[in-house]
Amino acid sequence: MVEMAGMAGMAGMARKAYLGVDVGSVSTNLVVLDERGDVLESLYLRTRGDPIAVIQEGMRTLAQAASGLEMAGVGTTGSGRRLAGVILGADCVKNEITAHAVASARVVPDVRTVIEIGGQDSKIIILRDGAVLDFAMNTVCAAGTGSFLDQQAGRLGVPIERFGELALMSTTPVRIAGRCAVFAESDMIHKQQMGHRIEDIVAGLCEALVRNYLNNVGKGKDIRPPVVFQGGVAANAGMRAAFEKALATPIAVPEHYNVMGAIGAALLAAEQVDRRGGGASRFRGFQALDMDYAASSFECKGCPNLCEVVNIKMGHEVIARWGSRCGKWDSF
Amino acid sequence: MKVTFAHMGNLYITVRALLEDLGAEVVVPPMPSKRTLSIGSRHSPEFACLPLKVNIGNYIEAMELGADTIAMAGGVGPCRFGLYGEVQKEILTALGYKFEMIIVEPPQGRLRHVLQQVGRLVGRNPVGRYVRAARLAWAKMTAVDELERLAQAARPFEGHRGAATAALASALELVDDAGSPARVKRALEEGREVLRAAREPGGGNSDPPRIGIVGEVYVVLEPFVNCEVERRLGEMGVLVERSIYIGDWVREHLLKDVLRLRKGRRPYELAKPYLCHFVGGHGVETVGSTVEYARQRFDGVIQLAPFTCMPEIVAQDVLPAVSRDLGIPVMTLVFDEHSSDAGVITRLEAFVDMVERSRRRRASRG
Amino acid sequence: MGEVVGIPRALLYYHYYPMWKVFFESLGQTVVTSGPTTRAVVDAGIKVTVDEACLPVKVFHGHVLALAGKCDYVFIPRLVSVERRAFICPKFMGLPDMIRCNCRDIPRIIDSCINLSRTTREYMRAVYSTGRMFTGSALRILASHNRARTALARYTRHIEGGLTPDEAMAVMGMAPSFDEPAHGTVAAASSSGGGPAAAMGAGRVVVGLVGHPYIIYDPFVSMNVLRRLREMGVTVVTSDMLPAAVTEREAARFPKRVFWTLGRRLLGAGFHFLRSGAVHGCLHMRAFACGPESLIGEVLERECARRRDVPFATITVDEHTGEAGILTRLEAFVDVIARRRKP
Repeated sequence: MVEMAGMAGMAGMARKAYLGVDVGSVSTNLVVLDERGDVLESLYLRTRGDPIAVIQEGMRTLAQAASGLEMAGVGTTGSGRRLAGVILGADCVKNEITAHAVASARVVPDVRTVIEIGGQDSKIIILRDGAVLDFAMNTVCAAGTGSFLDQQAGRLGVPIERFGELALMSTTPVRIAGRCAVFAESDMIHKQQMGHRIEDIVAGLCEALVRNYLNNVGKGKDIRPPVVFQGGVAANAGMRAAFEKALATPIAVPEHYNVMGAIGAALLAAEQVDRRGGGASRFRGFQALDMDYAASSFECKGCPNLCEVVNIKMGHEVIARWGSRCGKWDSF
Repeated sequence: MKVTFAHMGNLYITVRALLEDLGAEVVVPPMPSKRTLSIGSRHSPEFACLPLKVNIGNYIEAMELGADTIAMAGGVGPCRFGLYGEVQKEILTALGYKFEMIIVEPPQGRLRHVLQQVGRLVGRNPVGRYVRAARLAWAKMTAVDELERLAQAARPFEGHRGAATAALASALELVDDAGSPARVKRALEEGREVLRAAREPGGGNSDPPRIGIVGEVYVVLEPFVNCEVERRLGEMGVLVERSIYIGDWVREHLLKDVLRLRKGRRPYELAKPYLCHFVGGHGVETVGSTVEYARQRFDGVIQLAPFTCMPEIVAQDVLPAVSRDLGIPVMTLVFDEHSSDAGVITRLEAFVDMVERSRRRRASRG
Repeated sequence: MGEVVGIPRALLYYHYYPMWKVFFESLGQTVVTSGPTTRAVVDAGIKVTVDEACLPVKVFHGHVLALAGKCDYVFIPRLVSVERRAFICPKFMGLPDMIRCNCRDIPRIIDSCINLSRTTREYMRAVYSTGRMFTGSALRILASHNRARTALARYTRHIEGGLTPDEAMAVMGMAPSFDEPAHGTVAAASSSGGGPAAAMGAGRVVVGLVGHPYIIYDPFVSMNVLRRLREMGVTVVTSDMLPAAVTEREAARFPKRVFWTLGRRLLGAGFHFLRSGAVHGCLHMRAFACGPESLIGEVLERECARRRDVPFATITVDEHTGEAGILTRLEAFVDVIARRRKP
């Protein structure tokens, strides 16, 4: 290990590190990167509808592993990026497209296509020379995403871990039709009742998801190798094989495929700190996280939009508020 | 008789002025809200385009406030808008509402018919009164356009978030209240001042990225249905311009056929290599304006369209070729009653990031 | 030396193929069409079009791609309007542009602009400039055009006589050679003999099928709706089999003239089926996200709700439609009719 003296005067002999947090609807991921951008720690947790508790839990776990490290920058991303940003005191709050692109370009510097399929949504990012050239997110429903695969695996009685291998055993995948999850499911049931073999159905499902993905998210995109496949679904060998078949090119799945958003957030934080010329991170510190955080919401009756305004409190102090379309509650 | 009409952005200011000055009693529907949309979608055909659904919501909310007459524009195709009036009339009648619907069809060269329909709305008036009302409405329309442009120019430089939007709202109120062209002029001057004050000297990025907004007129002009794309981009520090302002739309939609202005217009010329025939709605304008923005070296273009909009689908289909040939990033956002702010915000942020990163890269290359 | 003109077997092929074929052949050219719609054709089309486009437009792209390498020209007229003050649909107006932007390596496009919305002169100029690609003789172009019109008139008579496009083309000896008629044989069709009125008299179930020809006559897109209904012993009358005078008269019940030619026909046919007592049930088959049909279908549904005497069902198809779902709906619909008719 390379010793990083860093800002020795300010923080003792602590090595500098960067924290990235990706709060999604299904999973919350945390990573700690060293100054070179290598992963020191990574955590993959279920959000379970309670992002604040999950962030606190994750931070408690990391606090021990990260002792002796100085958090020089903190970045958040994902659908809960603002919430996480406020709680942690993030230096950089970024959308997940940018975060995934940055992480992918770090791992595979010449990457030109990123396929990302997570729990609730999917995206494609086209890069050239390390910069985003084009992108798209799913516009239809969650039929191509991780939650759907989990659900169908459950319905077929296949453990999700074995889903991928099973798909690889198929010789003649069946064709499954369906624009949305409900229709795909009913067509799948129909195929099952016609007597098709389970591995063929599983493989057919993978192919259907890949086809839907390429025809919706990937439509009109200039997909060129190297292609990187990341997000929780990248663990599924059946999906990877279906992509390789459809695109006729090998697909790389990075080592930390399921926390790439968090890695990107940490890298973006490092970039941000660097751009403002160093200085201390806005990070509240690991101790602060034991504070009592609470989110509460109320319906604003100011107009028929009836916006649900969310209050984030640390102890008794309101530290953030958002959710109104008109913005009248945003300042306090 | 209490007249109402559907919302489209700030068009209500102009329409109210016109109808009231002609002696009609006007009920402006409440500004579109989630309630409007949910009422509208509940009673509209599933695959009708979004404007029809929000219109229905507007009418019902206005009738709750006592309106009994609906004024609506017609059309001769091929865009669905031309049949909106008749279908909406059937929907509302079946729901048991008692009302009269007056559909003003485009003149197709005959102004008399239009005046007849307008006459049904406001009663008999001497010609002089029409001229006066039209002048007031025109003054307001031009003022609204200018104020909206000033707000777009101010947002990236505003002192605090929301300052320009608040200034715009107060300026529009002044214009809405003005009772004569002279007063509109004064309101406009005051509005300019308020919007200037919203800018902070030296605030924001001195050379902000520029993004053009193109697409179907209703979705472009109605912030409620487009999840306030314009404001959000402005607050992200982007200088926004859009291809359509209310004044343009009225000039084109109501006066085009009288003056036969369509042919040879600039967007049609610019769109030619990609789309060389009128396709209804604003399909050609969308393509032509994208070419125009690319030539003016904008950093990106965002197309807005209602789900299933036919002309915009044709445009969307050819836009990748424009983007490729002219090297301008183009993103399409499609809206329906299921669109969520969160989804739109993430896409906008990612688009702005992409645009800014490529600018920075170009700058560093020199 | 004639050249080869390819006509994609999609969209208005079902309306105008005999006319276009005779026109180009009279000018000394050879005419070929793409094969029947297959999964591969559809997939190829889906790949190059925006997701928001309707299935028929995607299928059309697939057929154009299927013609690559098989002809010197591909005929993709810009069908703006085929009658005064009416249009087909915005997507038809931009079709050649969409094809140009999306399809690489295809034969040269003949994109004659057919626009009869204002004057006939504009149309004749388009006919002339198309003909000029193959001959210098204006007289020959005119003669070819006349022959083409005659063929179209004959074709229309066959359709109004109760034949499907495939059957009518077979009778006229111009069915594309490489495939069998898709909806069963001509004999099978004429066995229903004497038209819907006779079938009704003979106690058979008669169903009115409202839908764009490029949906209901394409066995792949429609999931074989015609054959399936016939196999269930149903006599089918499509919106195209009604004389124009009937659909025009019925469509005029709507307070405003519908400015889509095909949409007006569908509306008129739907009104006729729902009101005249000539059929036992009315089926509307439409493409997901079809603009005109979103409004036409709504008007028909409302008409049906007001009357309630003729069963009415809507079936929506797109590239994600599963055949099992369609079959279930068709069977259920025919059951509804059969049970109603029981004393």
